[in-house]
Amino acid sequence: MTSQTPPKVGIIANPISARDIRRVVASANSVQVADRANIVLRALAALAACGIEDVVMMPERGGIATHVLRGMERSNAQGEARFPRLTHLAMPVTGTADDTRRAARMMREAGDIAAIIVLGGDGTHRAVVAECGSVPIAGISTGTNNAFPEHREPTITGLATGLAAMGRVPAGLAFAANKKIEVRIDGGPPEIALVDVALVTDRYVGARALWRTETFRELYVAFADPEVIGMAAIAGLVEPVSRREPGGLALTLAPAATAAMTVCAPIAPGLVTPVGVEGWRRMPAGKLFSPDMAAGAVALDGERELFFDGHQQVAITLQDAAFRTVDVAAVMAYAAREKLLLRHATPALHPVPLLAGA
Amino acid sequence: MTNNPFPLSRDDLLTAYRTMRTIRDFEERLHVEFAKGDIPGFVHLYAGEEACATGIMMHLTDIDRIASTHRGHGHCIAKGVDVHEMMGEIYGKATGCCRGKGGSMHIADLSKGMMGANGILGAGAPLICGAGLAAKFRGDGGVGLTFFGDGAANQGTVLESMNLAAIWNLPVIFVVENNGYAESTSVEYATAVDSYVDRAAGFGLPGVTVDGTDFFAVYEAAGEIIKRAREGGGPALLECKTVRFFGHFEGDAQTYKAKGENEHNRAHRDCLKLFGARVTAAGIVADADLALIDREVAALIDDAVETAKGAPLPGPRELTTDVYVSY
Ligand SMILES: Cc1ncc(C[n+]2csc(CCOP(=O)(O)OP(=O)(O)O)c2C)c(N)n1
Ligand SMILES: [Mg+2]
Repeated sequence: MTSQTPPKVGIIANPISARDIRRVVASANSVQVADRANIVLRALAALAACGIEDVVMMPERGGIATHVLRGMERSNAQGEARFPRLTHLAMPVTGTADDTRRAARMMREAGDIAAIIVLGGDGTHRAVVAECGSVPIAGISTGTNNAFPEHREPTITGLATGLAAMGRVPAGLAFAANKKIEVRIDGGPPEIALVDVALVTDRYVGARALWRTETFRELYVAFADPEVIGMAAIAGLVEPVSRREPGGLALTLAPAATAAMTVCAPIAPGLVTPVGVEGWRRMPAGKLFSPDMAAGAVALDGERELFFDGHQQVAITLQDAAFRTVDVAAVMAYAAREKLLLRHATPALHPVPLLAGA
Repeated sequence: MTNNPFPLSRDDLLTAYRTMRTIRDFEERLHVEFAKGDIPGFVHLYAGEEACATGIMMHLTDIDRIASTHRGHGHCIAKGVDVHEMMGEIYGKATGCCRGKGGSMHIADLSKGMMGANGILGAGAPLICGAGLAAKFRGDGGVGLTFFGDGAANQGTVLESMNLAAIWNLPVIFVVENNGYAESTSVEYATAVDSYVDRAAGFGLPGVTVDGTDFFAVYEAAGEIIKRAREGGGPALLECKTVRFFGHFEGDAQTYKAKGENEHNRAHRDCLKLFGARVTAAGIVADADLALIDREVAALIDDAVETAKGAPLPGPRELTTDVYVSY
């Protein structure tokens, strides 16, 4: 990025995350489209406050853009300069995860996007990471399990992204490296997970979510935080692994009734249930893991995505420093320390009389 | 079922395939026969959407009621209405399940819990609230499901019924079959927020969206939602994102669809092909099992069409029967 081209920020907001079966088998919430649009408006206002003038968004027809544009139009009509200029990528809208992937690819190829703000669940973030290359992302959770995006007020995520994108925080501090896990079937193109890869006995994708614990067999996690929800919670409660330390954890699971031990894990919002665990070991980066089970389904970040049959080879590897995120906590701490958002009042040229106009 | 990695027994997998194949052949055949001009009225074909009706109806018995739409043949077949009687009805013959007086958009069979196809968009929703209330009073664990399209989802009746089902906590499920179009109008144009889950949330109901071309996705989600309703958990919404292979009605030139859209859907989003590939690759069902069903279904549809063509029309005296007034 040269100093002449002012940095742009990308926004990818998925209108269709948080719509799966976990609203019935667990007590997951559903973030309404109007709320997603409000989150975008909050992030946009924060970006503008940091000096970002141009934002590029993924187009969608789920209702987010309409609501956002309405909010911006009203603000412009009132003569406020609260928002940056907003353009939408020129791309077809399919209403599927392909849109997210294509938008992330276009934002990477554009070359002038300093960071991408992502609204969605783990699945949306995964789709962005698959294509965004070295462009850092800042995640805002509007999905179901959300082990990956941190939970925080989107305005703050917007501020941190704006400051980082404007280069007001040293890059080494503003951006953090993250791990990912790659899954290859028969040497094909890799599918990725940002948090966990679970192997289950089902041989179909179906309603995607995982909630029948008796089908769980193997689990590979990039990080295991006892505070997250979803499959990684199982690992987080047996041996925590932080987002930043190298390597992950591989676990062998079994039906709770027959397993060597069980862990009472929050595998979905409101669903805390015993999961059978046979054992676990560290998962060093670059080491190839092959499943013990001959056939089943592969769930990426808690959603069944692929299936494999007996004749197929499955290869699972963890990669350190695979992609970058905006370290919101570090940026905001730096901003406070360095007084980045402080302004001193300019002394008025003509002192205002105390009871002017009275 | 310990060694079966599917949520259905092998027999049930074959039944699901037979149901979907029966609907597909029924509709493909009507497409051909309608063009010949001897079928009265309009027909709206369900081809492409088979996994929705089948994945849902596999969880129902005759005590459960459904209220269907103008695109109702698939719902009828999956709910167990006799294919010969349906074909007779569509041909307007005395052998039809409504003695030939209803036609395609009024097929009903209360003995199967099928309350009727319906020419009025959104009209099934209030009806199913009545059925749900009855089931709740009977306490027999019965549930009611109403189907409607992405277009009909904008009808006041649908929204009012969601409110009614919510306040009375009825065992009622609202199924949106979102095939992307209402006649020639796209869902993006006609619907402000095109997630029907948001609509449900507005009435305090949980909603789930699934890929309606994936039988297993529909089957799993419907199973959990229906179980919840039977257990007193109340109403919910299920959105099935699906595709319609033919035009809105027979004779529709489909100029509003993208070039190659139908071909793409038939190649990549055909629920029958996807289902067949999955169960055979997993080694649970053999190609020959499916081929046998294909042949049996083809013979059944042949026979239904021949029988319907040869059947008598209702006589003039039938005009004053099956009505609420005695003449
Ligand atoms: C109350 C009412 N308004 C209009 C019509 C005319 N009409 C028949 S089908 C249809 C479109 C329905 O679209 P959708 O609900 O998406 O169902 P689909 O045909 O796609 O299955 C319309 C407008 C009608 N039958 N009833
Ligand atoms: Mg429609």
